[in-house]
Amino acid sequence: MDPMDIVGKSKEDASLPKATMTKIIKEMLPPDVRVARDAQDLLIECCVEFINLVSSESNEVCNREDKRTIAPEHVLKALEVLGFSGYIEDVYAAYEQHKLETMQDSLKGSGGGGGRWNNGSEMTEEEALAEQQRMFAEARARMNGGSAAPKQPDIEPDQES
Amino acid sequence: MRQAGTYSGMLAVMSGKNVPHSLPLARIKKIMKKSGNDVKMISGEAPIVFSKACELFIEELTRRSWMMTLKGKRRTLHKDDVASAIAATDIFDFLVNLIDDNGREVEGGFGRRGEPTS
Repeated sequence: MDPMDIVGKSKEDASLPKATMTKIIKEMLPPDVRVARDAQDLLIECCVEFINLVSSESNEVCNREDKRTIAPEHVLKALEVLGFSGYIEDVYAAYEQHKLETMQDSLKGSGGGGGRWNNGSEMTEEEALAEQQRMFAEARARMNGGSAAPKQPDIEPDQES
Repeated sequence: MRQAGTYSGMLAVMSGKNVPHSLPLARIKKIMKKSGNDVKMISGEAPIVFSKACELFIEELTRRSWMMTLKGKRRTLHKDDVASAIAATDIFDFLVNLIDDNGREVEGGFGRRGEPTS
Protein backbone atom coordinates (compact mmCIF):
# COMPACT_ATOMS: atom_id res chain seq x y z
CA MET A 1 0.00 0.00 0.00
CA ASP A 2 1.67 3.18 -1.05
CA PRO A 3 1.08 6.45 0.77
CA MET A 4 -1.36 7.72 -1.84
CA ASP A 5 -3.80 4.97 -1.02
CA ILE A 6 -4.18 6.07 2.53
CA VAL A 7 -5.69 9.41 1.73
CA GLY A 8 -9.36 8.98 2.60
CA LYS A 9 -10.03 6.16 0.22
CA SER A 10 -11.94 3.36 1.84
CA LYS A 11 -14.74 3.47 4.30
CA GLU A 12 -12.50 1.67 6.73
CA ASP A 13 -10.70 4.89 7.47
CA ALA A 14 -12.97 6.27 10.11
CA SER A 15 -14.56 3.85 12.47
CA LEU A 16 -15.83 4.03 15.99
CA PRO A 17 -13.73 3.15 19.01
CA LYS A 18 -14.11 -0.50 19.78
CA ALA A 19 -13.94 -0.23 23.55
CA THR A 20 -16.69 2.37 23.77
CA MET A 21 -18.89 0.37 21.44
CA THR A 22 -18.24 -2.81 23.40
CA LYS A 23 -19.28 -1.05 26.56
CA ILE A 24 -22.56 0.09 25.06
CA ILE A 25 -23.22 -3.40 23.73
CA LYS A 26 -22.42 -5.14 27.00
CA GLU A 27 -24.61 -2.77 28.98
CA MET A 28 -27.58 -3.95 26.99
CA LEU A 29 -27.05 -7.57 27.87
CA PRO A 30 -27.10 -9.68 31.02
CA PRO A 31 -23.69 -9.81 32.67
CA ASP A 32 -22.98 -13.43 31.90
CA VAL A 33 -23.57 -13.10 28.17
CA ARG A 34 -20.59 -13.11 25.84
CA VAL A 35 -20.34 -11.40 22.52
CA ALA A 36 -18.29 -13.06 19.81
CA ARG A 37 -15.59 -10.83 18.41
CA ASP A 38 -16.91 -11.01 14.86
CA ALA A 39 -20.37 -10.06 16.13
CA GLN A 40 -18.84 -7.00 17.80
CA ASP A 41 -17.09 -6.04 14.61
CA LEU A 42 -20.27 -6.38 12.64
CA LEU A 43 -22.20 -4.25 15.11
CA ILE A 44 -19.60 -1.52 14.82
CA GLU A 45 -19.77 -1.65 11.04
CA CYS A 46 -23.54 -1.41 11.22
CA CYS A 47 -23.23 1.69 13.33
CA VAL A 48 -20.93 3.32 10.82
CA GLU A 49 -23.41 2.46 8.09
CA PHE A 50 -26.12 3.99 10.20
CA ILE A 51 -24.18 7.23 10.39
CA ASN A 52 -23.62 7.13 6.64
CA LEU A 53 -27.28 6.60 5.99
CA VAL A 54 -28.55 9.28 8.33
CA SER A 55 -25.85 11.70 7.19
CA SER A 56 -26.86 11.31 3.58
CA GLU A 57 -30.47 11.86 4.41
CA SER A 58 -29.67 14.82 6.67
CA ASN A 59 -27.68 16.33 3.83
CA GLU A 60 -30.68 16.01 1.56
CA VAL A 61 -33.04 17.47 4.11
CA CYS A 62 -30.63 20.37 4.48
CA ASN A 63 -30.52 20.80 0.69
CA ARG A 64 -34.29 20.82 0.43
CA GLU A 65 -34.47 23.57 2.99
CA ASP A 66 -31.82 25.56 1.18
CA LYS A 67 -29.59 25.72 4.22
CA ARG A 68 -25.83 25.59 4.16
CA THR A 69 -25.16 23.79 7.39
CA ILE A 70 -26.52 20.51 8.62
CA ALA A 71 -28.25 21.33 11.86
CA PRO A 72 -29.69 19.02 14.53
CA GLU A 73 -33.17 19.66 13.18
CA HIS A 74 -32.17 18.17 9.85
CA VAL A 75 -30.84 15.09 11.55
CA LEU A 76 -34.06 14.65 13.50
CA LYS A 77 -36.06 14.96 10.31
CA ALA A 78 -33.82 12.42 8.63
CA LEU A 79 -34.37 9.96 11.46
CA GLU A 80 -38.09 10.30 10.99
CA VAL A 81 -37.93 9.81 7.24
CA LEU A 82 -35.79 6.72 7.60
CA GLY A 83 -38.12 5.03 10.03
CA PHE A 84 -36.25 5.76 13.24
CA SER A 85 -38.84 8.12 14.66
CA GLY A 86 -38.78 6.07 17.84
CA TYR A 87 -35.39 7.57 18.57
CA ILE A 88 -36.39 11.17 18.13
CA GLU A 89 -37.68 11.80 21.63
CA ASP A 90 -34.59 10.48 23.39
CA VAL A 91 -32.26 12.12 20.95
CA TYR A 92 -33.95 15.46 21.36
CA ALA A 93 -33.85 15.14 25.14
CA ALA A 94 -30.12 14.46 25.05
CA TYR A 95 -29.63 17.45 22.79
CA GLU A 96 -31.58 19.73 25.12
CA GLN A 97 -29.62 18.40 28.06
CA HIS A 98 -26.39 19.21 26.30
CA LYS A 99 -27.53 22.74 25.52
CA LEU A 100 -28.42 23.23 29.15
CA GLU A 101 -25.05 22.01 30.33
CA THR A 102 -23.22 24.16 27.83
CA MET A 103 -25.16 27.22 28.88
CA GLN A 104 -24.41 26.63 32.52
CA ASP A 105 -20.74 26.27 31.77
CA SER A 106 -20.59 29.54 29.93
CA LEU A 107 -22.46 31.31 32.72
CA LYS A 108 -20.02 30.07 35.31
CA GLY A 109 -17.22 31.44 33.26
CA SER A 110 -18.64 34.97 32.97
CA GLY A 111 -17.40 35.86 36.43
CA GLY A 112 -19.15 37.85 39.11
CA GLY A 113 -22.13 37.19 41.29
CA GLY A 114 -24.70 38.70 39.03
CA GLY A 115 -26.75 35.61 38.67
CA ARG A 116 -28.36 34.21 35.61
CA TRP A 117 -30.36 37.12 34.33
CA ASN A 118 -27.65 39.67 33.90
CA ASN A 119 -25.23 37.56 32.02
CA GLY A 120 -24.44 40.46 29.75
CA SER A 121 -24.41 43.21 32.35
CA GLU A 122 -21.22 44.69 33.66
CA MET A 123 -22.52 45.53 37.10
CA THR A 124 -22.97 43.43 40.12
CA GLU A 125 -25.88 44.01 42.39
CA GLU A 126 -23.82 46.08 44.81
CA GLU A 127 -22.56 48.23 42.04
CA ALA A 128 -26.03 48.75 40.66
CA LEU A 129 -27.27 49.76 44.10
CA ALA A 130 -24.43 52.19 44.55
CA GLU A 131 -25.14 53.69 41.17
CA GLN A 132 -28.77 54.11 42.07
CA GLN A 133 -27.86 55.90 45.30
CA ARG A 134 -25.58 58.13 43.41
CA MET A 135 -28.27 59.10 40.97
CA PHE A 136 -30.68 59.83 43.81
CA ALA A 137 -28.10 62.02 45.46
CA GLU A 138 -27.55 63.89 42.25
CA ALA A 139 -31.24 64.44 41.75
CA ARG A 140 -31.59 65.64 45.32
CA ALA A 141 -28.75 68.04 44.90
CA ARG A 142 -30.33 69.43 41.78
CA MET A 143 -33.58 69.95 43.56
CA ASN A 144 -32.20 71.58 46.67
CA GLY A 145 -29.18 73.47 45.60
CA GLY A 146 -29.27 76.56 43.50
CA SER A 147 -27.27 77.00 40.38
CA ALA A 148 -26.86 79.47 37.57
CA ALA A 149 -29.82 78.21 35.66
CA PRO A 150 -33.05 79.79 36.89
CA LYS A 151 -35.57 77.35 38.05
CA GLN A 152 -39.27 77.62 37.56
CA PRO A 153 -40.82 78.00 40.95
CA ASP A 154 -43.44 75.44 40.20
CA ILE A 155 -42.45 73.03 42.79
CA GLU A 156 -42.38 74.21 46.36
CA PRO A 157 -41.71 71.13 48.32
CA ASP A 158 -42.19 72.92 51.62
CA GLN A 159 -45.50 74.42 50.79
CA GLU A 160 -48.44 72.94 52.44
CA SER A 161 -51.85 73.05 51.00
CA MET B 1 -9.01 -9.22 25.91
CA ARG B 2 -9.52 -5.52 26.26
CA GLN B 3 -7.88 -2.93 24.16
CA ALA B 4 -6.19 -0.06 25.87
CA GLY B 5 -8.09 3.11 25.30
CA THR B 6 -6.22 5.51 23.11
CA TYR B 7 -8.69 8.31 23.50
CA SER B 8 -8.72 9.95 26.87
CA GLY B 9 -11.73 11.35 28.56
CA MET B 10 -14.24 9.80 26.25
CA LEU B 11 -14.83 6.67 28.23
CA ALA B 12 -17.48 7.60 30.71
CA VAL B 13 -16.81 5.84 33.94
CA MET B 14 -20.40 5.73 35.03
CA SER B 15 -22.02 2.36 35.04
CA GLY B 16 -25.51 3.60 34.31
CA LYS B 17 -27.07 3.24 30.92
CA ASN B 18 -27.80 6.89 30.37
CA VAL B 19 -24.31 8.00 29.52
CA PRO B 20 -24.51 10.92 27.13
CA HIS B 21 -22.02 11.52 24.35
CA SER B 22 -19.97 8.41 24.95
CA LEU B 23 -18.95 8.33 21.32
CA PRO B 24 -16.19 10.69 20.19
CA LEU B 25 -17.73 13.60 18.35
CA ALA B 26 -14.74 14.23 16.11
CA ARG B 27 -14.86 10.67 14.84
CA ILE B 28 -18.56 10.93 14.14
CA LYS B 29 -18.00 14.16 12.26
CA LYS B 30 -15.34 12.48 10.17
CA ILE B 31 -17.67 9.67 9.21
CA MET B 32 -20.39 12.16 8.37
CA LYS B 33 -18.07 14.04 6.06
CA LYS B 34 -17.13 10.89 4.23
CA SER B 35 -20.71 9.75 3.80
CA GLY B 36 -21.24 11.57 0.55
CA ASN B 37 -19.58 13.51 -2.21
CA ASP B 38 -20.96 16.92 -1.46
CA VAL B 39 -21.73 16.93 2.21
CA LYS B 40 -22.54 20.36 3.51
CA MET B 41 -20.98 21.97 6.52
CA ILE B 42 -21.89 20.31 9.74
CA SER B 43 -23.00 22.31 12.73
CA GLY B 44 -21.16 21.73 15.98
CA GLU B 45 -24.26 20.27 17.53
CA ALA B 46 -25.10 17.73 14.86
CA PRO B 47 -22.53 15.14 16.04
CA ILE B 48 -24.07 15.33 19.49
CA VAL B 49 -27.41 14.33 18.10
CA PHE B 50 -25.72 11.56 16.16
CA SER B 51 -23.93 10.28 19.20
CA LYS B 52 -27.21 9.65 20.97
CA ALA B 53 -28.89 8.24 17.87
CA CYS B 54 -26.00 5.79 17.41
CA GLU B 55 -26.30 4.66 20.98
CA LEU B 56 -29.98 3.97 20.50
CA PHE B 57 -29.31 2.21 17.24
CA ILE B 58 -26.67 -0.06 18.72
CA GLU B 59 -28.91 -0.82 21.66
CA GLU B 60 -31.78 -1.81 19.42
CA LEU B 61 -29.64 -3.90 17.11
CA THR B 62 -27.98 -5.58 20.06
CA ARG B 63 -31.30 -6.28 21.70
CA ARG B 64 -32.77 -7.82 18.59
CA SER B 65 -29.64 -9.86 18.00
CA TRP B 66 -29.79 -11.06 21.54
CA MET B 67 -33.33 -12.29 21.01
CA MET B 68 -32.01 -14.44 18.21
CA THR B 69 -29.35 -15.79 20.54
CA LEU B 70 -32.01 -16.71 23.05
CA LYS B 71 -33.99 -18.47 20.36
CA GLY B 72 -30.97 -20.64 19.74
CA LYS B 73 -30.69 -21.23 23.48
CA ARG B 74 -27.17 -19.91 23.59
CA ARG B 75 -25.36 -17.49 25.84
CA THR B 76 -22.93 -16.16 23.30
CA LEU B 77 -24.07 -13.64 20.75
CA HIS B 78 -22.80 -14.65 17.34
CA LYS B 79 -22.51 -12.79 14.10
CA ASP B 80 -25.35 -14.91 12.69
CA ASP B 81 -27.62 -13.52 15.37
CA VAL B 82 -26.85 -10.01 14.21
CA ALA B 83 -27.46 -11.06 10.61
CA SER B 84 -30.79 -12.61 11.54
CA ALA B 85 -31.84 -9.49 13.39
CA ILE B 86 -30.99 -7.37 10.38
CA ALA B 87 -32.95 -9.61 8.06
CA ALA B 88 -35.96 -9.58 10.36
CA THR B 89 -36.22 -5.82 10.79
CA ASP B 90 -37.51 -3.53 8.07
CA ILE B 91 -35.71 -0.41 9.11
CA PHE B 92 -32.43 -2.32 9.11
CA ASP B 93 -32.78 -3.06 5.42
CA PHE B 94 -29.93 -0.70 4.68
CA LEU B 95 -27.63 -3.13 6.44
CA VAL B 96 -28.29 -6.13 4.24
CA ASN B 97 -25.32 -5.19 2.14
CA LEU B 98 -23.04 -5.91 5.05
CA ILE B 99 -24.07 -9.55 5.26
CA ASP B 100 -24.60 -12.20 2.72
CA ASP B 101 -26.67 -15.34 2.84
CA ASN B 102 -24.09 -17.16 4.87
CA GLY B 103 -24.00 -14.41 7.45
CA ARG B 104 -20.51 -13.46 6.40
CA GLU B 105 -19.46 -9.90 6.03
CA VAL B 106 -19.46 -8.43 2.59
CA GLU B 107 -17.25 -5.61 1.38
CA GLY B 108 -18.95 -2.40 0.53
CA GLY B 109 -22.20 -1.39 2.05
CA PHE B 110 -24.49 1.49 1.78
CA GLY B 111 -21.42 3.56 1.29
CA ARG B 112 -21.66 6.78 -0.59
CA ARG B 113 -24.95 7.77 -1.95
CA GLY B 114 -25.21 8.91 -5.50
CA GLU B 115 -26.35 12.31 -6.58
CA PRO B 116 -29.50 13.47 -4.96
CA THR B 117 -32.49 13.15 -7.18
CA SER B 118 -34.74 16.14 -6.89
